Amino acid sequence: MKSIRGIGAIAFAGVAILALSSCAQGSASNGGGDGEDGAITLEFQSLSDQPATQAAVKSIVDDWNAENPDVQVEIVQAGWDGTFDKLITQFTGGTAPDIIHYEASSIVSFAADGYLADLTDLIDEELKSDISEGIWESVTHDDQIIAYPSTLQSYMVFANADLLEAAGFEIPSGDTMTWEQLQEIAKATTAGGTYGVGWGLASPTATMMSLSLGFDGGYFSGEGADASIEVGENELAVPELIHEMAYTDKTIEPTSLTQSGSDVLASFYGGKVAMTVQGSFQATNIANDAPEGFNWVALPPLEGSEGAVQAANPQTYSVNIDSEYVEESADFLNFLMSGDNLAEIAYADALIPSSGAARTAVEELAADNPAWTQVLASGEGLVGPPFLKVEKYTEWKDTVATPAFQQYLADQITSEQLATQLSDGWADIAG
Amino acid sequence: MTNRRPWYATVLMYTALAAFLLFLGFPLLWLLSASFKSTGELNSLAVNLIPAEWDFTNYTSALERQNLLPAAGNSLLVSIATMIITVLLSMPMAYALARLKGRLRAAGTVWILTSQVFPTILIIIPLFLVLRSINLNDTLFGLILVYVTFTLPFTLWMLQGYVAAIPAELEEAGEMDGASRITILRTIILPLLAPGLVATAMFTFVSAWNEFFLALVLLQSPELYTLPIALRSFLGAEGQTQLGPLAAGAILATIPSLIIFGILQKKLTGGMLAGAVKG
Repeated sequence: MKSIRGIGAIAFAGVAILALSSCAQGSASNGGGDGEDGAITLEFQSLSDQPATQAAVKSIVDDWNAENPDVQVEIVQAGWDGTFDKLITQFTGGTAPDIIHYEASSIVSFAADGYLADLTDLIDEELKSDISEGIWESVTHDDQIIAYPSTLQSYMVFANADLLEAAGFEIPSGDTMTWEQLQEIAKATTAGGTYGVGWGLASPTATMMSLSLGFDGGYFSGEGADASIEVGENELAVPELIHEMAYTDKTIEPTSLTQSGSDVLASFYGGKVAMTVQGSFQATNIANDAPEGFNWVALPPLEGSEGAVQAANPQTYSVNIDSEYVEESADFLNFLMSGDNLAEIAYADALIPSSGAARTAVEELAADNPAWTQVLASGEGLVGPPFLKVEKYTEWKDTVATPAFQQYLADQITSEQLATQLSDGWADIAG
Repeated sequence: MTNRRPWYATVLMYTALAAFLLFLGFPLLWLLSASFKSTGELNSLAVNLIPAEWDFTNYTSALERQNLLPAAGNSLLVSIATMIITVLLSMPMAYALARLKGRLRAAGTVWILTSQVFPTILIIIPLFLVLRSINLNDTLFGLILVYVTFTLPFTLWMLQGYVAAIPAELEEAGEMDGASRITILRTIILPLLAPGLVATAMFTFVSAWNEFFLALVLLQSPELYTLPIALRSFLGAEGQTQLGPLAAGAILATIPSLIIFGILQKKLTGGMLAGAVKG
C-alpha cells in the first residue's frame, strides 16, 4: 500500500510539473507584433556576450524606446554558440526575430537563401558614406546590402616592452611593421627559455585567410557556387613565413601553435614569450588582466607586400525579410549605428567600429589605453575578402583548410602538399 | 574455506582504484579550484590546485549574470518532469517488450533501434515545425515532450533487460496463488525492478539536465533558457571565455545532479540487495 501511495505521489508531482511547464510559454515567437496601444514591438536578437556590451546595447535600446513610443524594441538575448543552427531553424520555422545580430561570413548564406531584407535604400546616407567600400563589400550579396557592418577585429602583435628593450630593440612606432621586422625582433628576443612569439594557431584558417590579403593572397575568385580557388605564391606567403619562424628560426613557442589565442596570454604575461599575435579585441583583456607592472604595447599593423591589408569579417545587424516592420527595423539600426552608439558597443567589446564617426568617438573613450591607437590604425586596412562570397566556404574551412594548415604548422607536410590539399579539397567540395 | 588475497594484489587493486578516482575526480577538482581563482591567477602560468587567494567574486558574478538561477529552475523542472514521465511510460512498455512474444515485440525492438539511427541535426527542423504547428515551440512542455521522446527508446532498451532478468517463475508462482496480473506487477515485479527504474531515472535526469542543442534551438525566449544555454553564454565570440564565472556556474550546476544521485544511489544499492530467489 505504501508503494502505491508513493507512485501516486510521483504521478501527482508529474502532473503538477507538466501543468507548471505548460504555463511557461515564451514570448519570443513569430517575430514582433502590435501592442494594445498601437505600438509595434521589434524583436532584436542580440549576441553580445560581454556584460559591458550587454549594458551598452540595453542603454541604446532604452534610449530608442524612450524616444519612439510607437516603435518599441525588445532585446532577445542569445549566445554565439550554436547560432547558425538556431537561425536555420528560426528562418525555416518562420519564427526568426525582426533584427538579427551575427557576422558577415555566416550571415551571407542566409542572404543567399533569401531570408534577409535588402537594406540598400534604407541605410542612412551619412552612415553609408562613413563606412569604407571594402567593409560594405563584405555585407553585399547580389548587389544588395543585407546587413549593417558594425564592429570588426584585426590581428595585432602585442609585445612585452621590457623584453624588447632588454634585447636592444626600440619599440617600432611607424604606421606599419613589416614581417621582416617581426622576424628580426623575434630572433633577438628568443633566448634563455623565452621565445620571440607565442601564436595561438589551433584554428589557423581565419588568421591565414586574413593576413594573406597583405600579400594579395585571396585564395578564391568568383562568387557563389562558381567560385574557384588558386593557391599560389601569394597565398602561401603567410603560412611559409610562420613555418619559417617556427622551424627555421625557432622563434615561435611550439606549444602555442596548438593553443587558442587566449591560452597563449598566460605565457605572454609570464614573460615566456616576448610577443603574441592576437585578435585586436584582446587589447582590452590585456589591459584588464595583465599582472600589475606588466609593461606591454601594441605594435603597428603587420604589412605584407601589398600593405597592411587584412580581411574584414564584421559583426552584422540584418533584418528578417519576413518581418512586418522592415523599415522600422532599419530606422532603429540607423540609430544604433550612429557614431556615439556604435562607439559605446565597440569600446565595450574591444572591437574596431566600422564607421569613421564611431572610430573618432572610440579614440576619446579609449584615451587612457594607448594600444587602441594601433588597434584603430589596423582597422584602416580592412577589406572585404573574397571568401565571404563563396558558397561552401565554411565547409571547406572546417573539413579541408583547417586540418591542412594544422598539418603544415606541425611540419608534417610541405607547402606544396599544403597547396595541393587546399586546391583538391575545394575541388571535391565544389564538385 | 578461506581464499586469502595476496598482499600485492590488494596494493595493486587500491592503486588502480586511486588512479581511477584521480582520473575521474581531477577535472572536477580543477574546476572547483578555477572557480575560486581571480582572473589574474587564472591567467598566470602557475599550476596550483589550491588558489593563492580565495576569490568568491566568480560565484557572485555567475549568479548575477546570465540569469543562472531562473535557468537552473527551468532545468530542474524540465529534468524532473522528463524523468517522471519517462519512467512511468517505460515501466509498462519495458515489461510488455520483455514478456510478450511474437511480431509486436519484434516490431517494437526494430522501432527502438531505428529511432536511435537518426542524428538529431537531421530531424531538428521537422521537429521544430511539428512543435510549432501544435503551438508547443518555445515552451518548456514542448521541450519535455521532446526529451521524453528522445530518451524513451534507450530507457526502454535498458529497462527491458532488467525485466528479462526477473525469473518468469516468480510470476507463475504469483498466478498460482491467485494474484491478478496487476497485483503481480505491483507486488512482485515492481520491487525487483527498483534498481532498473532508479538507473533509468538517473540516466533520464542527467540526459535532460545536460542537454544543450535541442534546448538552444527549440527555446526562443531568454526567460525559458535552461542551464546549459545560460552557461554557454560565458563563451563569447572569437573563443573568448569568462573562465572564472563559467567554472563557478558549472560547479553550481552540478549540485542538483549530485543531490539527485545521492538520494537515488541508496535505492539503487538497496534494490540490488533485495534478492528474490534464495539459492
